[in-house]
Formats: sequence, structure tokens, C-alpha cells
Amino acid sequence: MKPIKYLIEQTYSRGLENLVAGQTSIAMLDGERGNLLYRGYDIEELADLSTFDEVSYLLIHGELPTTSQFQGWVNELDTWNEPPVDAINVLDSLPTDTPPLMLYRTMASIAACNIPEGENVRMDAQWRRPARILGWSSTLAAAAICHVLGRRPNPFNPEQSFAVNFLTRSLGRKPTQFEAEAFDVSLIVQAEHGFNVAALAALTVISTGADLGSAVLAGLSALAGKLHGGTNQLAFQNIMQHESAKDARAWVKRKLKDGYRFPGFGHRIYQTHDPRARILEPLARKLVEDRGDGHIWEIYETIRDEVESNLGDKGIFINVGGVSGLIYHALGFPMSSYPIPMALAIQTGLMAHCLEYLSEGNMIEPGAIYTG
Amino acid sequence: MASRLDTLDQSFNWRSKKVEWPVTTITSQGLSGVIACETKVAWVNPNTGDFSYRGIPIQELAGKATFEEVAYLLVEGKPWKEHPEKYKSFCQKLHSVRQMPVEVLQILASQPVTTHPTRLLRALISALGCYEMQNKDTRDGHHIWGDVWIISQVVALVGHIARFRKGLKPMITDYRQSLARDMLYMILNKKPSLEQEKLLNLLWVLYADHGLDAPTFTGLVVGCTKADPYYNIVAGLSALRGPLVGGAVEGVIQMLVGLRDANVARAWTEGMITKGFRIPGFGRRIHSQPDPRVDILRGILPEYAKTTEQQLLLEVSTTIEDTASAYLNPKGVYVNLNYYSALLFHYLSVEPEMVTCFYAIGRMAGLVARVREYLTTNRLFRPRERYIGKRDQSYTIIGKR
Repeated sequence: MKPIKYLIEQTYSRGLENLVAGQTSIAMLDGERGNLLYRGYDIEELADLSTFDEVSYLLIHGELPTTSQFQGWVNELDTWNEPPVDAINVLDSLPTDTPPLMLYRTMASIAACNIPEGENVRMDAQWRRPARILGWSSTLAAAAICHVLGRRPNPFNPEQSFAVNFLTRSLGRKPTQFEAEAFDVSLIVQAEHGFNVAALAALTVISTGADLGSAVLAGLSALAGKLHGGTNQLAFQNIMQHESAKDARAWVKRKLKDGYRFPGFGHRIYQTHDPRARILEPLARKLVEDRGDGHIWEIYETIRDEVESNLGDKGIFINVGGVSGLIYHALGFPMSSYPIPMALAIQTGLMAHCLEYLSEGNMIEPGAIYTG
Repeated sequence: MASRLDTLDQSFNWRSKKVEWPVTTITSQGLSGVIACETKVAWVNPNTGDFSYRGIPIQELAGKATFEEVAYLLVEGKPWKEHPEKYKSFCQKLHSVRQMPVEVLQILASQPVTTHPTRLLRALISALGCYEMQNKDTRDGHHIWGDVWIISQVVALVGHIARFRKGLKPMITDYRQSLARDMLYMILNKKPSLEQEKLLNLLWVLYADHGLDAPTFTGLVVGCTKADPYYNIVAGLSALRGPLVGGAVEGVIQMLVGLRDANVARAWTEGMITKGFRIPGFGRRIHSQPDPRVDILRGILPEYAKTTEQQLLLEVSTTIEDTASAYLNPKGVYVNLNYYSALLFHYLSVEPEMVTCFYAIGRMAGLVARVREYLTTNRLFRPRERYIGKRDQSYTIIGKR
């Protein structure tokens, strides 16, 4: 569809709330009914039937791949599994008590000093980038997590999916089939979410004519903040600080009185249940219970029910960040690395948005009212 | 009832006592006409060319104040003259943190020298951030926005990169020097003149803020999530490097050096305009009026053009401006700040590829000021999107597509 040149009157609030910033064919967020579609497919169906390897193709290229397209895409990802050696070696110069996303940011910035045709920003060059960014990112992210854990990443296995490779390499063990599936679903449901803060940062950068890698890096930077990608870590800490469901309930009651904003709850767009959380909950529950951590699930449920029964009429429900930490915990990720899997997932959506924006492309420059 | 503001009207001056949210405005692509926030940092009126930092017109600051003084003004919101003690400790803070961890300099030394310096700067500031934020509760990283020293850390790293590109050894920075003087020491490898110091200060002052252009808006967007400043600078540099922003400055000097005399320049400019090509250094969406900063630079250029080569470049650049302006000014397209600043950076022996890094240093002051300001009444930037794609697709397995 050809983009419409628009000049329209809009009413919006601080934080650009309710402003329609542009149009997109990538994701449809139905905030009233709590549905999320990628390229017209309900994420519930994709979570059930598809894989992240396929969904990343769908988001970026707009269609589900045919057998040969899929083979081509997977081969392309495989060929890009080895980032520039400098980007891995830089870890030797970095402290180990640094959050993995910061290490990852540095590795990706070093990789960007060593990329082929780095300054070529023609469309064909931009389209050559997604497979490389995605392929490299899994290796870099696994190495960043391993650096914190004090070990070396396992080797890449081209026979395995994106999810299995990342899990095996960062955790140093082969995941069970259920673990692999659950993690893959967590990647699928977090792969894209409209004009979220990370996407807005990425779009602003791509609008200056920059390369796709730079735009993704900016998006991931926005993800680092505690109000965005850092939520899953904070929400999980809130669960872990309690001994029992009873403690947790008393804590929520106290916090409600203080007007505390619970991390992992509420969303600007969803005024009802977040479909991503709904999909992840049964997987998270089975993973923690299989580990013998059933009490963690109970505490989670208690906090969720207590918050939702008090704030649900205001449209505040558990969101994806509220539940994803349970999955990462059960898989054995260190808490400081929780923003990493989310970053791996959402970069596909960021790339899709940037490539979509490039074809219409005005530079993004809003104004500020001077009140001094 | 939302207050209605005619943001895209020529008479709108982007100034008000207060903003009553929600607002109603005309909006267009690229968030044009959209009010993203209120600010007391700087006033940019695209319709008149008015431009002031904290209420002080740019003309009163340019050439008269140092970069440190203007950074204090923008960040603290008060004139430095009225707060000599606070200003002194501000400078001490700025000047005391320019020593980089040796590991960060080792990372620089191991990079290919052909890498674009903004990419190097981005990688180094990211590595430095790992050191600065280690052991800290980083999910609340915004607290270190209180520390303005990231401005001088960027200065130090840019100096190291400039020396690295010239094959010079890392230099220990001198804490007693001003940022401009220290930087010139690093790039010239000898004592700079007072005149050179004054010029670098002037350029940094002019670049210190320019409303919510793409790099600064990127900074606000990253900042609103409460990510720490190093994430912010990584993101901001990504935007600053874009061919339509900082990349444009490089284009200017490459163009000027390629045209060796005024006659060639005139013919070339006319050719470009007839073919409908853009001339580097012309046009800026935000200004449909002459940019007051350009007038300042145009005024001082002759005193800095000393050698025959410099005078020739000046002649070429004024010829291009005059030729192009005759065609473009009636369409509201004027020469922009990057045009003459590129020439002046060249006079200071700053390589064309390095200019974006110098631009970034100036902008650090405005960025720190604006992010700190936004965080005092923080609200996540989360607009909506209009979905125009497919619906009701149903999944078929791969062999059957």
C-alpha cells in the first residue's frame, strides 16, 4: 500500500499518548480486546504452530516463507553466526560484574566498527543487514552472558534452531525439548510490539539515513531502562523477595496504599489482559514447577491476583515483563541477563519497522514548547 | 477540552507560559508539528530564526562565553556569572574525570584506523560505560545524569580518537586546562593559540543545543526509560552520524576542497541546482528563516582565513552560498550551520571525518540539560500506530504454502 501523505489534526497527551505517529503493516495491537497480530496472524496461533526462525522471516519480509525461502533464510542466519573476532575479544577488556546488556552493547558497537559496507545506506545494502544482525546477535549475547558466568560459550550447531543454539551456548547445557519450546515461544511473543519506546528510538535513528545496525543499537539502548526492558528483572525481584504467598499478599496490600507502581503490570495500549502474558503463563508455570519451585509460582499468582483485583478496573493487568522472568529464572539465566532474551526477540520487530520506514522516510523531529 | 495550538502556522512562535495537556495540533510525517514536551532549556523559533539558551540570545553567548560556561547555563539553568562558586565546582567536576581506563584505550588501539570515528566513539563510550556502571544498580541508572562529567568523558575520548587516527601516542590530559584548550593540544600536538581556543569554544557553543532534532529526540526517548547516560550517548551518536544529520557536515568540506576556485564553484553550483540535486549544507526542516548562528560564523570567517589556501576555500564557499541562495532563498531554503562550521573546523585542523565527533561534544551540553529536565516530569514516549496491514490470516504449515 502506498503511504498517505498526511496532515491531520490530533489530540494527544504528554509522552505522545494517543498520538498516531504513523502507519504500519507489521503488528496490530488491539488494546481493548487484548489481541496481537503479526502481519495478520494471531500470535496465539504463531506461538502454537510456528517457530521464532519462521516468525523473524514473517516480520521482516511480510509473508510466511515457502520451504525454499525458509531454507535460504536459515542458511543466511547460519553463515552469519560468527561475529568479527574483535567483538568477542573485547570482553577480555571489560569487567565481569557488568550487566550483560551493557557488554552486549559494547560488543555490538565494536562489531559495527568491522562490518562490510558499513557506510552503504542504499536500500539493497539495508536489506542485506537483518540476517547478519540476527545471526551475530545470538553469538554476542551468549558470549556476554558467559562472560558474567565466567565460562566460554559452547560452539554453534547449524542443525539447531535459533532458540536451542542460544540456550545451549549461553547456559552450557542442551535444553530439554519443553525448555526449548517455551523459550522459543517467549521469543515469538516478544518479537514485535508496534511503536514501543525501543521502536520509536530505532525509527528516529533510521530516519536520519543511518544504517540498520545503528538503529537497532539505539532501540536496544531504550530497552535497557527499567521502565522498558528492565521491567522483567524488577518484577521478578519482587517475586523473589517473599518467603510465602502470605507475605506477598501483605506486601501488595501495603504497596497499594502507597500508590506504588508495580513493575510488570499495566500497559499504555492494553486496557485488558496482555495476550503475551496469557500465552507465557502456562509455560512459565510448568517450567518453575518442574524445577521444584512451585512456591515461586504461588507467589507470582498471589501478587498478580491481588494487584489485578484492586487495579483491574483501572485497566491494570499483568504484562509480558511480569511473567517472562519466571521463564528465564527456570532456565537458569542470571538475573542481570533478563533483558537479553527480550532484546534478541524485539530486534526483529525493530528491523521490520526501520525497513518499512525507509520507504517513506521523513526525518523524525518533533518540537518542544519553550516555557522559560 | 484540549488546548489547540497551530504549530505548523507561520505565526506560531513555539513559546507559551504553560502547556495544558492534552493538546490539539496539526501533525505531519516525521512528527512534524507535534509537541513532544515543554522545555526551559532553549527556545528555537523556526519562523523568526530566534534562538536563545535559557533566555539569553545566542548572539550574546557566541564568542563571549566558553563551552564550560554555556554548559553550566544549559544544565543548571542559571547564568554562571551569578554563581561563581557553583560554577567553579561544576568546572572542577568536568575537568577531573578525563583520565580514561587503560583498557578503553587498548580497545581503541586494536581497532582498524579506517573505521569511521563516530563508530569508534560509540564503541568506546559503551566500553567506558561498562566501567563506570560496574557494581552499580544500573536499572536505576538515570541517577547519574546528575553527574555532568559524561560531557568531558566524550571530550577526552574524541581527543584520543583524533590522535589515534594521526598515529600519535595517547596523551595525558591536563586537568588545569579548559576543555577546548586541552582538545586543541591533543589534536595539534602543540600549544594552541588563544584565537584557536576561542574559535573552538564558539563552535561548541553554537552546537550545544538545537531543539528536538533527531539526535536529541533519540536521547529523550532512551532517557525516558531511565536507561543510564551511556546507553543514551550510544543511541544519540547513532542518530548524529546519520547522513542527513552529522554526515552532512562531512559532505560540505569534501565539496569545498574539491572545488578549487570561485568560477568552478559557481558553475558547479548552478549545475547542481539545475539538475535538482541537494547542495550539502543547505536547508533544514526546522528553519524556514535564516539561521542566526550562520550569520555569526559568516561574520568571523575572514579573521580566521589566514593562509592562501584558507582564503581560497573561503572564496569558494561564499561563491557557492551566493549562487545557491539566489535560487533557494525564495523557496525558504537557507544555508545552515554545518556549512560554515565545516570550514572553520577545517581551519582548526579537524579532519572532515572527525567533525561529527566535535559536533557531538557541543551537543552533549544540550542533551544532558534536556534529559535531566525531562526526567523531572518523566513520562514514557509511547505513541500509537495506525495499522494498515492484513488481518485474519490463518497459519498453514510450511510445505503447503
